[in-house]
Amino acid sequence: MPKRKLDPLPASAFQILLALAGEDLHGYGIMRQVAEQTEGRMRLGPGTLYSSIQALLEARLIEELKEREAENSLGAKRRYYRLTSAGRRLARTEAERLADLLRVARAKKILRGDYV
Amino acid sequence: MSERIYSWLLRLYPAGFREKYGEDALQLFRDRTRDERGFWRIVRLWCDLLLDLAWSLPQEYFYLRPEFVGATPLHSTDGVPSFYCLQPEPLRPGAVLFGSVMSSLAIVMFSILLGYPGKYTGAGAATIGRIGGDTEFSEPQRTETANAGNKPSRAGFGGTPGLDAAERRRVVSSAATIIKTYYVEPESGKKMADALLEHERNGDDDRVRSGAALAVLLTQQIRAVNPDRHLTVDYSEAPLPEQPDGSATEAMSRYREMLKEQHCTFEEVRVVPRNIGYLKLNSFPDVSVCREIAEQAMASVNDADAIIFDLRSNRGGDPAMVMLLASYLFDHPEYMYNPRENTTEQNWTRSPVAGSRLSDKPVYVLTSTATFSAAEHFAYDLKMLRRATIVGEKTAGAAHSGVWHRINDHFGVGVPETKAINPFATADWAEIGVEPDTKVGARDALTVAEGLANRKLRKK
Repeated sequence: MPKRKLDPLPASAFQILLALAGEDLHGYGIMRQVAEQTEGRMRLGPGTLYSSIQALLEARLIEELKEREAENSLGAKRRYYRLTSAGRRLARTEAERLADLLRVARAKKILRGDYV
Repeated sequence: MSERIYSWLLRLYPAGFREKYGEDALQLFRDRTRDERGFWRIVRLWCDLLLDLAWSLPQEYFYLRPEFVGATPLHSTDGVPSFYCLQPEPLRPGAVLFGSVMSSLAIVMFSILLGYPGKYTGAGAATIGRIGGDTEFSEPQRTETANAGNKPSRAGFGGTPGLDAAERRRVVSSAATIIKTYYVEPESGKKMADALLEHERNGDDDRVRSGAALAVLLTQQIRAVNPDRHLTVDYSEAPLPEQPDGSATEAMSRYREMLKEQHCTFEEVRVVPRNIGYLKLNSFPDVSVCREIAEQAMASVNDADAIIFDLRSNRGGDPAMVMLLASYLFDHPEYMYNPRENTTEQNWTRSPVAGSRLSDKPVYVLTSTATFSAAEHFAYDLKMLRRATIVGEKTAGAAHSGVWHRINDHFGVGVPETKAINPFATADWAEIGVEPDTKVGARDALTVAEGLANRKLRKK
């Protein structure tokens, strides 16, 4: 049976890692954080979100917080997720890879401006 | 309600995913519906969800990893092998229900699409006004059936709602009786009749509200059993004459008028460069009306060195006209096979035709996928007799002609009643069409045929 692929890291998984870099979040929190950090360009649906979460959990890049299961106002339990140190390393590696790409793009004069 | 819909959709995911994340996914949906209000946001939400479903569902099944269950390892230490097995996932009642609902929906949609008359391109369901041009019925023999006395009120027809169930049943039952009694292959006739009656009993015809749609639907039901394209149920908005007496009927006289107005469908007759005669003929019109015009047309190309019959838009017609035109192309009587007629005498050309110089000239016949019935008869026989080169596309494949039976004021059935023996070693054009000798797109057929004729004439 094939293992979920994280190499290359899918955009959705990378965004989830970045979302969790700041704080521990539950599913909807991750979705909102991703939407916010991509300025609304990426709105993760439940299927993609939990599929990516499952892949990241299997690769031990994130972990589920057993001690923090909050109940919302309607009594539904929410599972929180936290970035592991391996996840943080991978996120950094991916960000560096993208930064390298940006440098190349700028050197080739594909990109203009001062960003990054 | 929307939450329920989404929870149904969630059931499409594998059980493992549902168990782990089903509730979380539903919670996320609730959160979003709570926060995203307003029409456009809800539309966006559903677009997101459907896209997400389309994207993640295949992935979940691709990465599906069944859980191992089985005996504990302790049992395997005593030398008795133990086996692990994959946890079976029985179908839950909900899944069965969901599957049934989706299947029913698919069947309903498919039936609606099938019954939609607008796009139907079959040769059937021709309205009576088009008989002369489109289909190759022998002289209309309109037979009163047992139900002819039941005259429907006109208000109930013509696409207006109100084709009542009793009337529909009468039409179906009469059509079934006629097909069963008269179709050339009795066994197939019985099957088609049974199919019609069964569809009626099953309520498949209930949704039909207009006469025209009923004719289309019944034709489809018949052809699902037997694809013979001359089997048709026809509908006429104008009441059909009750006791037509051949040529005297109003319909026939209208048809004749129409033929005369259209120069008997000889659209173009001319001599093109290099002295090639070109005849564009769009049907094989009734000889009794068009003999003179046909003879004039053939006379005007009599001195040509080669002749091209353009039948690309020819929808068939009278076999007698096929024989009349073919007679010019031989210097002795030649047998022209016609699967519609068992008679032998009429199937011999009246060759040689006095004054004809065409009997030894190269002949080219242009065909397209719209070349139909009698036009295929003409092309097929000239090809089999090696008298013509067929240039263009494979023809439509309509071989059997029908005798037309009147059901009531508005409905009739065309039924092929005869089948002749083919003297040629190959199958006729029924269902398979006439294969061209030179296969080119219909649009290029004339240019190609002219090229072939030029080359042939140059060699002489």
